[in-house]
Amino acid sequence: MTGALLRLVTVSRSYGARRAVNEVSVELPPGARHAIIGPNGAGKSTLLHLVAGTLRPTSGRIHYAGHDISGWPAHRRARAGIARTWQHPALARPLTAVQNVLLAVPGQRLAALRPQRRAVTAAHAALAQVGLAKLAERPAGQLAYGDQRRLEIAVALAAAPRLLLLDEPSAGLAAEEITRLTELIRALPDDMTVLLVDHNLDFVAAVATTVTVLHHGQHIATGTPAEIRDHPDVRRVYLGTDALTSPAPNSPATPAAVAGTPVLRVRTLSAGYTGAPVLTDITLDVRAGRVAAVVGRNGAGKTTLINTIAGLHPAGPGTDILLHGQPLTGCDTRRRARAGLGMVPQGRRLFAGLTVDEHLTLPRPHPTRSRSVDARQVLDLFPVLAERRQHRPHQLSGGEQQMLALARALLAAPDVLLLDEPAEGLAPAVVGQLAAIITGLAAEGTAILLAEQNLALACQVAHDIAVLDRARIVRHVATADIREYPTDLHDLLTVPTTAPTPS
Amino acid sequence: MTTILTPNPDAGIAQTPVRRCGFGPAWLLPTAGVGVLVAAVTLPWLINAYLISLATTALVMAVLAMSAQLLAGLPGLAPLGQAAYLVVGAYTAASVATLTGLGPVQLLAAAAAGAVAAAVTGVLAVRARGTTFLMVTFGLGELVHAAANQWAPGGSEGIHTPPVVALPGLPAMVRPGWVYLYVLACTLLIGAAVAVVVRTRFAWLLRGIAAHEPRVQAAGQHTGRLLLAAYTIAGGIAGAAGALAIADTRYVSPADAAMGVSALALAAALIGSGSMAGACAGAVLLVAARDWVGGLLGGHGPTLLGLAFLLLAYLPRHRLAGLTTRFPRRRR
Repeated sequence: MTGALLRLVTVSRSYGARRAVNEVSVELPPGARHAIIGPNGAGKSTLLHLVAGTLRPTSGRIHYAGHDISGWPAHRRARAGIARTWQHPALARPLTAVQNVLLAVPGQRLAALRPQRRAVTAAHAALAQVGLAKLAERPAGQLAYGDQRRLEIAVALAAAPRLLLLDEPSAGLAAEEITRLTELIRALPDDMTVLLVDHNLDFVAAVATTVTVLHHGQHIATGTPAEIRDHPDVRRVYLGTDALTSPAPNSPATPAAVAGTPVLRVRTLSAGYTGAPVLTDITLDVRAGRVAAVVGRNGAGKTTLINTIAGLHPAGPGTDILLHGQPLTGCDTRRRARAGLGMVPQGRRLFAGLTVDEHLTLPRPHPTRSRSVDARQVLDLFPVLAERRQHRPHQLSGGEQQMLALARALLAAPDVLLLDEPAEGLAPAVVGQLAAIITGLAAEGTAILLAEQNLALACQVAHDIAVLDRARIVRHVATADIREYPTDLHDLLTVPTTAPTPS
Repeated sequence: MTTILTPNPDAGIAQTPVRRCGFGPAWLLPTAGVGVLVAAVTLPWLINAYLISLATTALVMAVLAMSAQLLAGLPGLAPLGQAAYLVVGAYTAASVATLTGLGPVQLLAAAAAGAVAAAVTGVLAVRARGTTFLMVTFGLGELVHAAANQWAPGGSEGIHTPPVVALPGLPAMVRPGWVYLYVLACTLLIGAAVAVVVRTRFAWLLRGIAAHEPRVQAAGQHTGRLLLAAYTIAGGIAGAAGALAIADTRYVSPADAAMGVSALALAAALIGSGSMAGACAGAVLLVAARDWVGGLLGGHGPTLLGLAFLLLAYLPRHRLAGLTTRFPRRRR
């Protein structure tokens, strides 16, 4: 067969009435490096699932290496040479890294007591390819997040695939890790075809030779990265000048109506995992009507800090957490929530079986709280959710899920809102909306603590920024000063500021 | 999920003992194993006939617990109907006993019958996951229970079987001590076979299914077939337990397929938290609690068993679903 290795012919996939992928046609010649981009909810992940066989198309055909594979189950496609990774690491956590890779090496007997020498060699080669050779004997669950992402790729490479599908490979990685990932993908053999879905436009431009843009399941454009950047339709849907996005009242960094009295005080906070200190001597104040941001690399301890304040992670000795002057350190999570601490966890943590409406009927401010919030008021803040009240989380896009998680936290009328990486995996336009909402909340008097890797967002919304590095806060800066010396902070953090802020 | 365990990943390598498992020095585990084995073999000369027959029952339950562990501990699917295959095996052994008194022949026939029954019914069971799997296997168990009441020889009364002959030329075993030693030998053989199975690539893939089933599919495996194979092997082991049960009691009735037996096997597997040796120890503990300590407390065996089940939820153990990987870790 000549021509395309993978050919999608007017492929569609519906979830109920919603068309996640709508008559998309894509053609990949052998050896292509193709990226699919698009705002949240564009149907990128669904398209990848359709190719991998996790989902079947509602209509349309998928041709791979001359076969119509539309009806093939996932394992048959895998045997035909299609390997994939997942957006969130899906590893057998108790098994070691090399055992995880060995599971995917094909051509081994089921009854084999020891992996064949050939298979072990292949597994170690795959680990070396992603730079994990030294960590081969570590249980996957003990690897750092970035290493888990690379292990995912090693597992996919171990099968020596003809077509490699990567689902958001750069999500949650720090700048130097993305550089290594870029080198890794560039170094793949020329005859291996790569189809990847990602948000990070610089990364996509660095690894892909062709790019397809999706929006609401529709094919917008296909071309080289440069063509795509200049394409007017793409600029419209992707960079946030879309008519649909109407941000909430936007008043960036206006001085709050309420005076900045510290609502939440954290003094000499420490925390760790089984003896290894992750945070030491953390001291910070969160003031009413102001946004404090904690920025830092992956693994700097941002999530641990948020969880320790919320009571989800045990605090070390000497820790003092005061809310309105009342010590919280000995209280459990429930009491802290009752005292006025709201939290939006990383990864949103929605309830899979409940609709948007049901999510919003669950939280209630405790009777002892003075303020009360109505579901309608919250929905006014998030017009997107109002249109999706009967949908369940899996039918929502990433951005809508984040809005729902935020709405759920707001219904408890918190005095202090803890936000853990709200911009993770969101398209720039949605990040812009989110920034407007966060600023609006602060203007109404809520104290907000934001843990974020997206420095662009942190600079846009925060009044004060604390830089977390190697278990401690290395610097407190007012945002105004950062704006004067942006490169200074980049050098300190090497945090990617790739997500462009909508103008 | 995204938090790193140590701030500097490289620093952790030296401190983290990756391959060491459990507690205590390295010689502790083998020594304890030899000690348990010696104690088990010398048991008939140490305790009275009643306790010996209880020990035999405990061994039969240990085999059934291994059968349950093959599903609960590896692919993370908790079965609540393993007693059904035990009864299939027991009735098969009982009908073979009318032809020959030879124990190993009965054992093989029972294991084969258990495996066939599991392969047929497993087609239904392996379509389900989680709680649904539990309910489907429970339903299958109850159907077998009802079928045995209706059609099995002897009806709800059950049937008696002649004593078993261990090897050709030996006399039939009547004394509990000899029966115990025969069942112990068979249990050790089955245990050895299971120990081989859990070290195969097949068992690894089952653990992979517990962690993330689509991942195993993306590695080119038909997970439904893998699970059916596991279910069939588990049924064979349960069938073998049935042959050992009639060697022990010389009697089989539909009551042996009761849900309580399956629940005990599953609870033993959960106590073992992923390990086969743990499942066997759990079975011995639960039988001891139900029949021995319960007897001392004046017939409060079921109460004690219920309390033991409740205690399960509060034991400091890892979650099931193959989170403890004792078997693969020991190999080099």
